[in-house]
Amino acid sequence: MISLERLTKRYPGQAEPAVLELDLVVPEGEIVVLVGPSGCGKTTTMKMINRIIEPTSGTIRLQGEDVTTSPPDELRRRIGYVIQQIGLFPHLTIAENVATVPRLLKWSTDRTRARVDELLDLVGMDPSVYRSRYPRELSGGQRQRVGVARALAADPPVMLMDEPFGAVDPIAREKLQNEFLRLQEDLGKTIVFVTHDIDEAIKMGDRIAVLREQSVIAQFDTPERILSDPADDFVAEFIGAGASLKRLGLARVRDFALAHWPVSSVSDGREAALAALQRSTADSVLLLDDQRRPVRWANRQDLSRSSTPLERVGMSVTAVVEPHATLAGALDAMVSSRVGGVVVVDGRGGYIGTVDMGVIMAAAETMRAAAHERALAVEQSDLRAADVAVDLEQEQERR
Amino acid sequence: MTAGLVAPEQAALLGEPGDGADSSRRWRRGLAVPLVLTALVVGLLVYVQTAELDDIEARLLDPNLLLDATLRHLQLVVVSTVIVVLLAVPLGILATRPSVRRFVPLIIGLGNVAQGVPSLGVLVLLAIYVDIGFTPAIAALVLYAFLPILRNTIVGLQQVDPFVIESGRGMGMSRGTVLRRLELPLAVPVVLAGIRTAAVINVGTATIATLVNAGGLGDVIYQGLVLNRLVVTVVGALLAAVLALFIDYLAGLLEQALRPKGL
Repeated sequence: MISLERLTKRYPGQAEPAVLELDLVVPEGEIVVLVGPSGCGKTTTMKMINRIIEPTSGTIRLQGEDVTTSPPDELRRRIGYVIQQIGLFPHLTIAENVATVPRLLKWSTDRTRARVDELLDLVGMDPSVYRSRYPRELSGGQRQRVGVARALAADPPVMLMDEPFGAVDPIAREKLQNEFLRLQEDLGKTIVFVTHDIDEAIKMGDRIAVLREQSVIAQFDTPERILSDPADDFVAEFIGAGASLKRLGLARVRDFALAHWPVSSVSDGREAALAALQRSTADSVLLLDDQRRPVRWANRQDLSRSSTPLERVGMSVTAVVEPHATLAGALDAMVSSRVGGVVVVDGRGGYIGTVDMGVIMAAAETMRAAAHERALAVEQSDLRAADVAVDLEQEQERR
Repeated sequence: MTAGLVAPEQAALLGEPGDGADSSRRWRRGLAVPLVLTALVVGLLVYVQTAELDDIEARLLDPNLLLDATLRHLQLVVVSTVIVVLLAVPLGILATRPSVRRFVPLIIGLGNVAQGVPSLGVLVLLAIYVDIGFTPAIAALVLYAFLPILRNTIVGLQQVDPFVIESGRGMGMSRGTVLRRLELPLAVPVVLAGIRTAAVINVGTATIATLVNAGGLGDVIYQGLVLNRLVVTVVGALLAAVLALFIDYLAGLLEQALRPKGL
């Protein structure tokens, strides 16, 4: 756990402080993302935690221990540090780079070597291939992986990451983000992550602190809450257009009621399919094979063309998702398919249901309502707390 | 991911024959310089031995005398360059430390002044006010070669990627460790280039050491001029040129050997 108490940074010769009395708690094992417009002090805030920038006043606690004045070099060896520019040492091999902190901690050669190999493996780089390469021989994404491995070398409980995936192309970034989230599931590090990209914040953060100027917290909340219930206009504006779309990226298909379009088994024949279509208002029927796997989408016209065998009528089923897919993913598949629905299948490919526009709208409505209720609940508990405070005051006055 | 891993591997394998040819070409190019220089010196000696020289020329071009002058010249260059390295490199390191960084323009300015003063003038002043002989000649050469090494040390340290330093500090390296393990190794190529330049400059400048009776190839050149024997002057000048090229060549080898791998 990291806790910052009234943390302030004033630069000499500047009237306004860069960071003003920031209070923030980063819970154990969580990723807290500091996000905000450029110049809001988010990087300054992060660099005060390992005291690359010395705070002017305030307290930094690491797992309860006050580290505000402890020797900075020793403090930093306990904190993993990844920056956007990575800063790999170009004259040292990948193995030597990763071994930086173990070497500072005077680990034995054997222990260091084993750890380096373990870490390279962990970030998906074959140690026998990359151990003795130099940074310039790697691609941007690989360098970033080495940067993460290097930060993890001495297994620090806490990590600071300053736009760690900012310098790679969008496709590599997406991949690195996913890989890192997978790693974090096992590692459970306490992480402060800085970015200016709200989408990255939503994706990476267990909690997000939206910062305005001087690192003043505009809202500190889970991604869902930030999207569904922005605290003020600043946060709403920072999230930008498409908050509802972004929220769909957090919701999973499995959590919502699916639509059931007419289905019919190919082996039951044409008449059964037509009958199924007739019983519903939909204009297409989904044909399944004997294992209940989707085969074709067919409408009335397709079915009436008796010359075509049933397993080849209509259109093939292209839009298919599994239950753990996000609603945004399902929507994307839906838009790019020619049928107004996405087939949801289980792990074996068997039909479960369909996501159509109705499902998406209902899900959005559910999320909106839930957010509203939570907001109300918070307000009420605040009110109750206020009532209690008033009661206490009155009681004291009576005495 | 696996595809990403395999591709560079194959590229490296495919690249290897090319690299081999490259390095053998570099070897041939590397050998060309000493071969040409040796041929030049041998040609010069053969000419001196076989040409019809008058008494004065024969006396001045005695091979033993030429060898002595060359060795003396080399001594002037090596001693002065070593002294400059010992003075200018630490000063350059000091100048890039955060606490003194603001004095860098002043230090560079002084170096510029030292370089700007005509070497002949410095030498004459030293001869008048201090002494003549080896020591004042060395002093003049040191003054003159100071700037290239100082400037290259400063530039070499300044061009180190600040994010390399930040990540080093961020992982808990002390300032001293960052200097020793990161900054200095990364500055080595630029510092060596400065030393190379200074050494070559010194070969040229050392020819005027003869004016303060410090010897060297300047003796040969100067006597050729005074006694109006063109061939003597040309031989002295050619030997100085060969020496300069040879030192440049050696410094080049040193640069290649000491340049950190991976750069």
